[in-house]
Amino acid sequence: MPVTDVHQHLWPESLLRLLAARPRAPRLVRHAAGWELELAGEAPSPFDARAHDPARRAALAADDGIGRVLVAPSAPLGIEALPAHEAQPLLDAFHQGVVELGAPFAPWGSVALAAAEPAAVDALLDLGAAGLCLPGAALTSPAKLDAIGPVLERLAQRRAPLFVHPGPAPAGDSALPAWWPPMTSYVAEMQAAWLAWAEWGRPAHPTLKVVWAMLAGCAPLQAERLAARGGPASAVHDDHAWFDVSSYGPHAVDAMLRVVGVDRLVLGSDRPIADPPALASLGPAVRHAVSKANPARLFDAQP
Amino acid sequence: MPNRDLDQAELEQLVQDLAAQPERWRHLVQHRPDERTYAELHRDEHVAIWLICWMDDHDTGYHDHDLSAGAVAVTAGAVREERLVLGGAPAARTANAGEAFTFGPADIHRVSHVGGEPAVTIHAYSPPLWRMGAYEVLPTGELRRWSLSYAEELRPIGA
Repeated sequence: MPVTDVHQHLWPESLLRLLAARPRAPRLVRHAAGWELELAGEAPSPFDARAHDPARRAALAADDGIGRVLVAPSAPLGIEALPAHEAQPLLDAFHQGVVELGAPFAPWGSVALAAAEPAAVDALLDLGAAGLCLPGAALTSPAKLDAIGPVLERLAQRRAPLFVHPGPAPAGDSALPAWWPPMTSYVAEMQAAWLAWAEWGRPAHPTLKVVWAMLAGCAPLQAERLAARGGPASAVHDDHAWFDVSSYGPHAVDAMLRVVGVDRLVLGSDRPIADPPALASLGPAVRHAVSKANPARLFDAQP
Repeated sequence: MPNRDLDQAELEQLVQDLAAQPERWRHLVQHRPDERTYAELHRDEHVAIWLICWMDDHDTGYHDHDLSAGAVAVTAGAVREERLVLGGAPAARTANAGEAFTFGPADIHRVSHVGGEPAVTIHAYSPPLWRMGAYEVLPTGELRRWSLSYAEELRPIGA
């Protein structure tokens, strides 16, 4: 299996067009100075379509020695939570667009949460999706886990993984800097989703493979505190869980490696938001495990 | 197992108990002439247990285990353990099937296959191995320690 980056974002042309045509957030708006992305919870941010140019992105992947790029839906846009008739055309454009790009790209699938059914999992996997991506907030209570339960069951039956990614930030002060939601609500959401999975999700879905973006907000590093408060700290040791290293570096990755073991870490870059983390200081064996051997095990392929 | 890190005697008991239950690891035994093979049998907050398969010429080189104590039980074949001795021949011992040995975090040793029958060993580390030191003896006799992730030992490239 080639070096695999399990976490990038790339908006195909067809999705860009639909986002630019929307009358309300999430949408792309053209200003004199260029395009801006409007999201419900975050300050409008400049949008550079060149960052989503497939040829440029394929070249960047090749420069990094990455042979397979899994493209996640941009869950912070909040598309999954829109009414199904608004969400579905956007999701279809994303899936179809990424599939049409071909190698090295393949999509994570995504569903409109209001109408999510097991049949959608089959359709996505049959289209070529690597698995299903859900926003962390879709997993943070027993009721939400029950609601999405049949979808997760089908995913487990198909031996395809779930990718958990932060969803939209709650509406906040538009004067906050761009890094505020990623450092507050995204981290809190991933930690809550991981804790909910430890308590309710894993017992209900014992064999479902789960890939956590951004080291699950380093939730497993809270294991001692979780144990001290009577929570399910042994959930840290889960042979069906993987953590992508996106936006972190050698310090946090080494700390996670100490707690969960090197087998549980996979390369995710979150490009174009961030570049692949510099892990050279952890040594060639860690790099090999994270970028090649572990993704191969995750996807049942030969390393 | 107690809810704390284990000492060397407890680790030795643990690997010997596991060695006596081949049904828990026999299906993971796999010998390769070019590389040792490794399978993690168990991991929790306090202990990690590995199965390692050895053939001719397999040799760890001198290393330490940084913060972890450990024990090794031999279930098939034999391995040699050598402790580094400055200015002298290493202190060597051979562990045959049915035998075990232990080491503390500060001990510097190397383990190698004695040759002949492939060896199978069960290793327990407490706390789970994280960082290690690998030692290089220069021609001048100077000793160098390289700080490594445990992946260099237990998840090497190519294994």
